[in-house]
Amino acid sequence: MYQFNYVKAKSLKEAGELLAAHPDAKLLAGGMTLLPTLKARLAQPTHLIDIGSLAGIKKITLKTKKLVIGAAVSHHAVAVSDEVKKAIPALARLAGLIGDPQVRNRGTLGGSVANNDPAADYPAAVLALNAKVVTARRRIKADDYFQGMFATALEPGEIVKSIEFPLPLRAAYAKFAHPASGYAMAGVFVAQVGKHVRVAVTGAGAGVFRWSAAEKALRKNMSPAALDKLTVDATDLNEDMHASREYRANLVKVMAQRAVAQLAGQ
Amino acid sequence: MEHHLLEVDGMRVSRREDLRLMTGAGKYASDWNLPDQLHAFFLRADRAHAKIVSVNVERALKHPGVVRIYTGADAVGAGYTRPLTMLTFKGKDGMQVRQPERPVLAHGRVRCVGEPVAMVVAESALIAQDASELIEVEYEELPVVIDPEAALAPGAPQLHDNVPGNLPFEFEAGDAAATEAAFAKAAHVTRLKLAVTRVAPSPMEPRACLAAYDPRDERYTVHVHVQGVNMMRKQLAAYMNMPEDKIRVMARDVGGAFGQRSLGYPEYCMQMLAAKEIGRPVKWVSTRSEGFATDSHGRANYVKGELALDAAGNFLGLRVDWIADMGAYLTPTGPVSHLRNPSTCLTGVYRIPALYGRWRTVLTNTNPIAAYRGAGRPDVAYVIERLVTQAAVDTGVDAAELRRRNFIPPEAFPYKTPTGSTYENADLPGLLDKALKLGDWQGFAGRRSASGKAGKLRGIGISTVIENTGAGLFPKDQIEMHVAADGTVTAYTVCHSQGQGHETSFAMIIAETLGIAFDRVRVRQGDEDHPLIGNHAGGSRSTVGAGSACHVTAKKLIEEGKALAALELGVEPSQMAYANGAFRTAESKRSITLADLAKAKKFVVTAEGSFSSTFPNGCHIAEVEIDPATGVTQIASYITVDDCGRVINHAIVEGQMHGGVAQGAGQVFGEEVVYDRATGQLLTGSFADYYMPRAGLVGEISMEEHPTPSKVSPLGVKGMGESGCTASLPALTTAALDALRPLGVQHLDMPLTPSKVWSAIVAAKAGR
Repeated sequence: MYQFNYVKAKSLKEAGELLAAHPDAKLLAGGMTLLPTLKARLAQPTHLIDIGSLAGIKKITLKTKKLVIGAAVSHHAVAVSDEVKKAIPALARLAGLIGDPQVRNRGTLGGSVANNDPAADYPAAVLALNAKVVTARRRIKADDYFQGMFATALEPGEIVKSIEFPLPLRAAYAKFAHPASGYAMAGVFVAQVGKHVRVAVTGAGAGVFRWSAAEKALRKNMSPAALDKLTVDATDLNEDMHASREYRANLVKVMAQRAVAQLAGQ
Repeated sequence: MEHHLLEVDGMRVSRREDLRLMTGAGKYASDWNLPDQLHAFFLRADRAHAKIVSVNVERALKHPGVVRIYTGADAVGAGYTRPLTMLTFKGKDGMQVRQPERPVLAHGRVRCVGEPVAMVVAESALIAQDASELIEVEYEELPVVIDPEAALAPGAPQLHDNVPGNLPFEFEAGDAAATEAAFAKAAHVTRLKLAVTRVAPSPMEPRACLAAYDPRDERYTVHVHVQGVNMMRKQLAAYMNMPEDKIRVMARDVGGAFGQRSLGYPEYCMQMLAAKEIGRPVKWVSTRSEGFATDSHGRANYVKGELALDAAGNFLGLRVDWIADMGAYLTPTGPVSHLRNPSTCLTGVYRIPALYGRWRTVLTNTNPIAAYRGAGRPDVAYVIERLVTQAAVDTGVDAAELRRRNFIPPEAFPYKTPTGSTYENADLPGLLDKALKLGDWQGFAGRRSASGKAGKLRGIGISTVIENTGAGLFPKDQIEMHVAADGTVTAYTVCHSQGQGHETSFAMIIAETLGIAFDRVRVRQGDEDHPLIGNHAGGSRSTVGAGSACHVTAKKLIEEGKALAALELGVEPSQMAYANGAFRTAESKRSITLADLAKAKKFVVTAEGSFSSTFPNGCHIAEVEIDPATGVTQIASYITVDDCGRVINHAIVEGQMHGGVAQGAGQVFGEEVVYDRATGQLLTGSFADYYMPRAGLVGEISMEEHPTPSKVSPLGVKGMGESGCTASLPALTTAALDALRPLGVQHLDMPLTPSKVWSAIVAAKAGR
C-alpha cells in the first residue's frame, strides 16, 4: 500500500470536517473493502479517517416501530444481537452469512451500505425492508439511495450514521454464495411490511434491485408456487467465468422461492 | 477414532511437529533475516506477449533508498538463461528437447503475465515497490496464444525462435501398430476428449527467499522454501552455471509445497547475483497476487483417449493423444512428470494387451506448469477411469464388474506393462470387494430413489487406480545418525517435510528399529552442517526412500555398536546381542548402553539405500447429490480402500488421504486457472475469483486399508502422499456424471461448477 495519514476521529462532526479539508481522504471503519484495495495499490488516499470506534454509531436500538442500527456496528454484532433477532431475525441471519468470522468481526453495516458493492448482502435487506439511510444531513429512502454499482445517493462528505429499519411482519433472506469469494451470486430478501411485499435482489445485477413481478405475485399469494410461472429477464444480469447470466436469473427465482418458503413458519 | 494419537507397535505418540506449527512457532522462508539485508521487488510483465522495446530505470534509480536495479540485460550478461532440464531422454523419432531460453529476468520479450522484467533492490520492500512504479517499460504487443491446441496449429503465434510450432518435445510410449491392430478387431470403442484443468496449487506459505554471499569462502547462502535442499541447490547451480558446492540452501519449516515448491525459481538467481555484487543479503517475499501469476501451475493436460473392447467386455487396447500445456517456458519438473508418469501407468490397473500414447508438450503465453501433487498420475488415472466407466455405460455393464473383469490378476504380479514398467504387487479383486462392501455398492439404487424423492439427483462413481511413486532425482537416500551421551539419537535427512510429519514418522521408524522410546529420537531435516546425498520429498517417496534409509541406518548403528560394545567389554562382536538400547554379552549379564558408547567417543553412523518406485493402489467410491435447481453438487459419501503397504502411522496416512481427496474435490468442483483467451490476462488472480475448496466440501471419509507389503522397502511401505488426488478426480467426476446421465448428460469437463452443471441439465432437458 501507499503511505497515508491515519486520523482517529473524535466525533462524526470532526470526521466530516476532515473529509471536507482533504478531498482525497477516505473514511475507515472495518476496512474490509478499503484495506484490500489499498494493499493492491488500487487507491491512494491521503488520509484514512477512522470512525470505526465512535460510540455514537455503534449502538443497536429497538423502538416500537423501528430498529435502528448504527453505521459502525459490526456484522457479527448484528448477527448475535438479541434485539435484531427479536425484531428482524432475517437481518440477523443475513449478517451471519456475510464473509467469514474475521470479516464479520471487522466489517460494518455502514461500510457495506456506503460502499454498495453489487454483491454485498446488506443492500438487499435495506431495500426490501424499505429502510432509511440516516446521515448527518438527512434521511434517505432506500429506493432513492441505491443507484447501481458502487453508486449511492450520498453526497461528497456525507457520512452514514445509522440505518432505520421499519419492523416487518415477516422477512427472509436466501443467499447463493459465490463459490470462490463467498459474496452473493444471488441473494434475495423478501419482506412483508404492512400490506406491502418487497423483494430485493443482490449479487445478480449491476446493483441491488427490486423484482416487482415477484412482489405483485407474492402480494396475492405468499407462497413459493406463486413464483413458478415467473421468469427473470437475464439481459441485464452479470455474467462472468463462474456463472452465466441465465444461471444467475435462475438463481434469483430459486432463492426468492427459498426465501418465501422460509416465511411459511413466521 | 482418535486422530491426534498414533499407535504403532505399542507406542502412542502425538505428531510432534504440530505444537510448533499450530502455535505459529514454525520458521518459514520469510522468517529468516540477516543483518544489513536489502529488499527486492520484481516489476512484472503486465501483458502476456510483447517485445520489450526499452526499460528505462533512470527515475527509479533516483528514488531515495534504491540501491540497484537489474534488468534482463544483467540476467543475460550473467548467463542465467537456461534452467535445468530433466528431459535427458529422447522423444518421438529420436527427438531431443528444444529447450527454450528463460533469462531469469525477461530479456527482449515477455511471454506471460507476471514474468519478472526488472528487480529493484532497496533499503526496504516498500521503497523497492514504490521505485518499481517509476520504471518505464516500453512494449510492442505481440499476438497471444493461450489455448494449447491453438498453439500447435499452423499460423499460431510463436513463442521461441528455437521451438518451431511451439512444440519443445514430443514423446511416445507403447506400440502404435499393435494398438492399431487391437482397435481394428474391437467390438466396441469408447472415445472421450478430456480436460484435466490448469490449477493453482496455492500452498499456505507464500514464496520467499533470502540470498547472501560470503566472499571468504565464495559461497552463497539461500534461505528458501524447499522440498529438499539438494534439489533446490541442483537447480540454482544449473541455472547459474556454477558448481553445486558454491551454494548452501537452508530451510526449516515449509508451509505446503505440493510439487510447486520444489522449483528453483528465476527470482532467486537474481537475488543471489545482487547479494554478491552489492555485498549485502537480499530478501524477497511474494504476495499472494504474485503467487497466483507466477508460482508454477499444475495439471493442464488435454487428452483424447480411446479404449477398445471385445464383445465380452475385455479390454483390447488403449490409446491416448495427449497435449501437455507447459506455459511459456519448460520447468525442470513439468514436462518430465507429465510424460513419464502417465506413460508408466498407462495401463492403469488393467491387463490391456496393447497400449500406445503420444504426448506433445506445448508452449503457450501462460505461467509455466510444474509437478503438482500426483504430477501426471491423477491425470492419467482420470483419463483411464473416465474411459472405463464410459465403456461400462456404453456396453451396459456394471462399472465395478467391468473393472473386475479386466484387473491384472494377483498372480500376474510382478506385472510388466506394455509400456515397460513393472508393477510390484497388488490385490485388486480383494481391494474392490472391500470397497464395494464399505461403499454398499449394491444398495445404491435405494439411496438414489430416496434422494430422488427429496428432489435430488444422486450418482455413484468408482475409481480403481495405481501409481508409481517417485524413483528420485538422486541415486540414493542417506541418513546420518548421531548418538548423544544422554542416549538420544538424532537422525539427519535431506528429505524435507512440508507438513507430512517426517519428524514423527521417521522417528517412529528409528525408535522401532532400535527398540528405544520414541521421545529419545529426533529428526533434523535439511541441516547444512550435515550434507547428505538424498532426494526431496516429492512423488510420494519420502517414507519409501528416506524412511527406509532411517531403518537401514538404525540397523547399521546396531551393528557398529556391537563392535564398539565388544571392544569395551572385551569380547568378540559375534557374542554381542542388542535389544532396547543396550548391548549384552551372550553368556554373561554384562551390558553397555547406547548412551555409554557415546560417552566414550562420538558415535555417528551414516548409511544409505537405493529405493525404486513402489506402486500404491486403491479403490475409491463416491456418491454425490445434485440439486437440479441450482446445480450444486454435494458429496454424500466418500469411501477409500487403499494399499500403501505397511502403514507406519495411521493418522498421518489418513491425513494425507483427507488432503489428497480434498485437493481432488477442489479441482473437480471448482478450481481452475483462467486466462483471457484474447489478451492472456489472468482472470483468477485472487481467492475472490479462484475457487479454493473449504473444509465443508468433503465431509467424512470412510477409510480402510488393504495392504500388500512392498519389497522395495525393508519396511514394506509404499508411498501414498498423492493417492487421494489420483483416485478422487475420477471417482468424484464419474459420480457427478452418473447423477446427470439419466437426464441425458454424457460428458462434462471439470470443474463441475454449479453454473456448468445447471446449464447442462437445462440443455439436456431442452434437447428432449
